[in-house]
Amino acid sequence: MSAPIRHVLVAGSGLTAWSAAAALKRRAPFLDVTLLATPAAHDALADRIACTLPSLPGFHADLGISEDDGVTRTGAGYRLGTRFFGWAEGLPDYVHAYGSYGHAIGPAAFHLHWVRAMRDGRAAPFDAYCPAAQLARAGGFMPPSPGTPFAGHDYGLTLDLPRQVAMMRAFALHVGVREVTDSITQVQVDATGHVTAIAVQHGAPLTAHLYIDATGPAALLRGSIDDAWQDWRDWLPCDRVLLGTQVSGEGAPVLTPATAHAAGWRWSSGEQVGMAYGSAHLSDADAAAMLARDGAVSDAPIVIRPGTRARAWRGNCIAIGDAATQVEPLEWCNLHLALSAIDRLVTMLPDTAMAEVEAADFNRQTLAEAERVRDFLAAHYRTARRPEPMWQAVAQAELPASLAHTLGQFGERGRLPFYEEETFTRDSWAAILLGQGYLPRRIDLLVHGVPAPQVDAAMARMTDAIAAALPHVPAHAQWRAAQMRRLAR
Amino acid sequence: MTKVTNDVVRVVIVGGGTAGWMAGAALTRLLSGQCTVRLIESEAIGVVGVGEATLPHIRSFNERLGIPEAEFMARTRATFKLGIEFRDWGRIGDSYIHPFGTFGRGAGAIDFHHYWSRLAREGQDLPPLDQLSYACTLAREARFEHPDQGRGGLTSTFGYAYQFDALLFAPYLRSLAEEAGAVRTEGMVVDVERDGESGLIRSVTLADGERVEGDLFIDCSGFRSLLLGQTLDEPFEDWSKWLPTDRAVAMPCRTETAVTPYTSAIAMPAGWRWRIPLQHRTGNGYVYASDFISNGDAARALEEAVEGEKLAEPRLLRFKAGRRRRSWVGNCVAIGLASGFLEPLESTSIYLVQQAITALIELFPGRQMDASDRDEFNRVIDLEYDRIRDFLILHYHATSRDDSPFWNYVRTMAIPDSLDEKLELWRRRGRVVKYREGVFLDASWIAVYLGQGILPEGWDPRADVAGTGDLVQAVRSLRSEIAAEVARRPDHRAFLERYCPMVAA
Repeated sequence: MSAPIRHVLVAGSGLTAWSAAAALKRRAPFLDVTLLATPAAHDALADRIACTLPSLPGFHADLGISEDDGVTRTGAGYRLGTRFFGWAEGLPDYVHAYGSYGHAIGPAAFHLHWVRAMRDGRAAPFDAYCPAAQLARAGGFMPPSPGTPFAGHDYGLTLDLPRQVAMMRAFALHVGVREVTDSITQVQVDATGHVTAIAVQHGAPLTAHLYIDATGPAALLRGSIDDAWQDWRDWLPCDRVLLGTQVSGEGAPVLTPATAHAAGWRWSSGEQVGMAYGSAHLSDADAAAMLARDGAVSDAPIVIRPGTRARAWRGNCIAIGDAATQVEPLEWCNLHLALSAIDRLVTMLPDTAMAEVEAADFNRQTLAEAERVRDFLAAHYRTARRPEPMWQAVAQAELPASLAHTLGQFGERGRLPFYEEETFTRDSWAAILLGQGYLPRRIDLLVHGVPAPQVDAAMARMTDAIAAALPHVPAHAQWRAAQMRRLAR
Repeated sequence: MTKVTNDVVRVVIVGGGTAGWMAGAALTRLLSGQCTVRLIESEAIGVVGVGEATLPHIRSFNERLGIPEAEFMARTRATFKLGIEFRDWGRIGDSYIHPFGTFGRGAGAIDFHHYWSRLAREGQDLPPLDQLSYACTLAREARFEHPDQGRGGLTSTFGYAYQFDALLFAPYLRSLAEEAGAVRTEGMVVDVERDGESGLIRSVTLADGERVEGDLFIDCSGFRSLLLGQTLDEPFEDWSKWLPTDRAVAMPCRTETAVTPYTSAIAMPAGWRWRIPLQHRTGNGYVYASDFISNGDAARALEEAVEGEKLAEPRLLRFKAGRRRRSWVGNCVAIGLASGFLEPLESTSIYLVQQAITALIELFPGRQMDASDRDEFNRVIDLEYDRIRDFLILHYHATSRDDSPFWNYVRTMAIPDSLDEKLELWRRRGRVVKYREGVFLDASWIAVYLGQGILPEGWDPRADVAGTGDLVQAVRSLRSEIAAEVARRPDHRAFLERYCPMVAA
């Protein structure tokens, strides 16, 4: 057995870097973790997007950060999902919530029954059967509560980013992470592709056994080894993101609106507003003007290069966050992918041999995860119904095999094949595809195993139960205020 | 769209036996009204079923079909199965159990085997690994009680399967299938008619001249692979270079020792021998490679090895490891031995039948066959076969035995790259390649790696945080806790006699 690693250097100064340093030190306390705080990367979306998936509360819990500290004291809001406007013309808006949609009736999954009921004109919109979606549409919030219809959901957060970073930094320093503030002048790489030292502007060169690159798209460390990149532009057409701030008295919505436009989409999550667009279809100036109409002050546009490194880990250097994968913020996966890579690394810590087979196993999982996120995002564009050139180009593009497989199977009979390392559940896929009117061609035969009137009755019971429970749930603002009051006592 | 009466799919199953009647029962029960089922079998053709050991997945199949456990066990003279004992595999004299459960408490951020590896490498005096698994200990003590999912604790850390008489399972399923509308026809298929243009099978003709038409033909004809192999000529992918056994000789005997709640797989000079205790007898068989031993010597070796009076003469079976390139071709789906064969070392035969049936139901075609259903079915089945293949090869390859030409061959043979990589990750760091789909997950791989003596050189560094003394203490108290829990469970045979006594013949 080779010697264990002791020294880990995390480069970067955003939420990704601090989260990585905190998790490594907290969950593997025998490591010496140094964070080299390089100047902030304004184009690192994992550090800059306020909306998160449910993986962040889970990440907090693993570190031992309580809900009080991780949510209430940082001023975060709760998120139950995203509401999509204008993605499929002629269809109403739809909600992708982080919860279950209906439940199986007899031998067939709920969404298969829904398709038949829909075709027969007897179904309410798909998200009408999702308690979390209805809770969110009503502006309410409660954590999963057994014994109520609102028992089977997760929630993400809308972060107050500066406070979140401050909290994570304080936590990291508290558990023993060492912080060095400097700028990288040179990354030394030996002939085998291993990083040997990092030269900085002011201090002595820094060395470590393992280098974590959280410097954003610039990938100052990992990019010094090679720049091999898988390009996803054909399926993810937005290569610009514009972020702005607006005065928001109401706080972050529990349901984040995402509204399609001719050359991309825009969202609003309380103070943060944003827009993703394809630069070939909309100029930066026109984009800024569109965002300004909401009274938002916008920063310089962020250029993104949708794609990933197939080998996030090479030698003794691991890229995480935007240094590894770049996707637009649709479905809020940026920070999620970073946190998932951190979790994976904690369970797959190498020794000083930096064995190729271990990196390959990490990369296999990481790439599989990234590619399925790509597929899920691309499915939004592929199945959208909009006439403009940007949308039509994706509608006609040749798809990656895994997405072609999923859409083929779903389009045929509503089957959602299993993929390893999938981020989104089958319910999530169904919510998007059915929400955009991408209906299976055939009714699965298992559906006929239950008589239609029995299915209708079961479906009606679902919506009735939600309707009966909704009047008793607190509004999101009310729930947050109650948490604050509890802390103040 | 909801009118289906005109679209009822006419299913013709060729071959009874376990595969045929499992398919027949599942289709009639789960797709009633969507298809008609006609099953053709001949009493003149023997059934391969030799007393079957299963995997825990069989329970979900039974549940889905509404089969009550106690009734099913009584009818098939079944016993419970907590895992498989492997004797003499890593070295002569070794014995380990691959449990349908975990080692340790099955909870915590770091898997138990990391601590185990560390303590073993430190040279600590440790109890046998079996004693640190509730399932293994329960099995070794020949006790049984259902898992207690409600309580969480140790008594929830396992699953179970059955050992039953396959010759009784098929008739039991047959009664369920016929009750649900399946029609059985006695007869031998002598001819198959195909559509000249599409190549689809139109009908099969029986020895008495009857022509049976169908939309979907399910080939459950066993090794002969009458439709998929003989008629459609689907190529066979041969895996015998990795899995060289190609014969088995089977012989039941009277049970003289305990009715163990586990199957045994005992390594032999040219293969291995199974022992499957049922309520009324014990099934035995010697799986061997004919390149390394003659049929006569194998039969003699089996007769010498079994524990009690033989209840039938030894019966010979021939096979080859591998699978047809595709299991579903045109309008023909092969299920069971007609689609491929993997030796019964890890009791995967019925599992593969079940997976094929599940996939077929999920992808059940209309009268017009659709390529997307077919391709997806074949993808799912390939994945199952490939994952099992690597796991089986591991048992042969991870050995230090050099006492016979057979073991020398399998110990030194080239193995698939996918398995090579898995082994290296385990050896270096005690890491198991993670999949969520596939039959044998982490715990199974860990049991076989450790059981066959591959102790990792490294482990999760987080397992180094705790002090040695504390860990050794924790291991000891775990062992006592397991022993105390197991002592409270009833004897396996006593439990069977109370719960599901066999029905007289």
